[in-house]
Amino acid sequence: MSGRVWLYGFVALTAAYLVLPIMAVVPAAFSAQSFIKLPPDAWSLRWWTAFAADASWRRTLVTSLQVAGLTTVVAALAGTAAALGIDRCGPRLKLLFGALFLGPVVTPVIVIAVALYAMARAAGLVGTLTALVLAHTMLALPYVVLNVGVSLGGLDRRLLLAAAGLGAGPWRIFRTVTLPLIAPGVIGGAVFAFVTSFDEVVLSIFLSGPTVKTLPVRIWEEIRVEYTPLVAVAATIMLTLALLAALVSRLMTKRAAT
Amino acid sequence: MSGAGGTSKGAAAALMAPALLVVAIVFLAPLVRLFAMSFEAKAGPMATYLEVLGDPIYRHVFVNTFVVSATVTVVAIAIAYPTAFALTRIGPAWRTLLFACVLFPLWISVLVRTFSWMLLLERNGPINRALVGSGLIDQPLSLLFNRTGVLIGMVQVLLPYAVLPIYAAVLRIDPALIRASEGLGASRLRTFLSVLLPLSMRGVATAATFVFLLALGFFITPALLGGPASMTLSMLIDSLVNERLDWPLAAAASMVLMVAALIVVGLAGRFVSVRAIAEAHR
Repeated sequence: MSGRVWLYGFVALTAAYLVLPIMAVVPAAFSAQSFIKLPPDAWSLRWWTAFAADASWRRTLVTSLQVAGLTTVVAALAGTAAALGIDRCGPRLKLLFGALFLGPVVTPVIVIAVALYAMARAAGLVGTLTALVLAHTMLALPYVVLNVGVSLGGLDRRLLLAAAGLGAGPWRIFRTVTLPLIAPGVIGGAVFAFVTSFDEVVLSIFLSGPTVKTLPVRIWEEIRVEYTPLVAVAATIMLTLALLAALVSRLMTKRAAT
Repeated sequence: MSGAGGTSKGAAAALMAPALLVVAIVFLAPLVRLFAMSFEAKAGPMATYLEVLGDPIYRHVFVNTFVVSATVTVVAIAIAYPTAFALTRIGPAWRTLLFACVLFPLWISVLVRTFSWMLLLERNGPINRALVGSGLIDQPLSLLFNRTGVLIGMVQVLLPYAVLPIYAAVLRIDPALIRASEGLGASRLRTFLSVLLPLSMRGVATAATFVFLLALGFFITPALLGGPASMTLSMLIDSLVNERLDWPLAAAASMVLMVAALIVVGLAGRFVSVRAIAEAHR
């Protein structure tokens, strides 16, 4: 019996270690002081008003949302198409393309970042929205391909045959049968693409410029020098958006299960 | 959809074309270019590799990267195993909660999680204040800008990747085997060592591969929580590009890191599919 108690105590500590430290930025963002002390001696919203009033911080948030939005659209379209294409291949090609799309996942991000930076410099694309969206799309694609692939795997092929037998063309079949059935996979992949882009730091550090800069890059630049409650506000915004995305994704999987 | 033949093959290629183009232009081409750059040093084509692999300062960075990655892997597995085991034993409501605790951090940016650790581990941060206040220690511990900080942060960030594959492996073990072992009089430790562990070894190997692979290339967490003495290979690559502006050397160091990662994937390929690695990323 005591073994059980030890095990559960240990697991409770592990759960606390996984989750609680993440929350530390939240009280720091509501401090009334000019420096970060945890917990703050006094609370206020002054750093939230300061964030809202600061044009350069606001611009980084807008850039992040733009990049993440564009990445989501491009990755969802290209990734869904790719998953449909892979689905039509034989087992050997399936494996090959699967591995190719997973390349960016197993390669250390810093290596991709340096390689992309060199290329973007040569092409004059450093500090452009194009470079950031392309780079984030490459990182997000595998997740869309995997998600849609799983949905396609669970698709009852007899439905497609039935639709074809009733005289529907390929596009009609896709629009009225395939797409509604794989929609949870597409949306799940899209949500993940959004978060991947919104959270991404390493590639963005190398590809951002003085005018086009994402929110995480600004946070990174600030905390390397000193950290103020203003940075904690920015971090809390990132935390909240990721939480929302996690909730949406959970609702989608629940709906897919019922 | 079901029809095979020429048109289907053409359609498959057309469907994959946009994504393949992105991977080719944004992933493969830059890597090939970086590979070529690693031979472009003025001192001769192999000079960069000789410098990266021969210089004692760089060797120190390699050793540190390896030691940090290996320590993180061992500690993460040691924490993940009991957690994964408990996940298979508790009731559904608790399991949902514990699963949420394991999966939730994966949604949060590594940058935000690392920033939180900076606030917590500070010299005058809440952890040190609590320890000094409780009388456990007299002087605040230095937990930040050294290897201790890096380990605390990296283990926390990478722990979910260790829990999931071990959980999947323990779940597949027939509980009757454990009951049989206990019924035959084996102690808990004996049951663990001779039944549970051997049967879940694949899961442990998968977990170790994920964690080690990710730790090898980790950048944000060691760069923010570590000090100059605990430089890792990814921090070195960053400083070669941004401070020393030595592109060929940075390219060579990148190739070394990539080969190291490929070796890990290759060795692990005997136990683990690369696909499983990506799936656990979610």
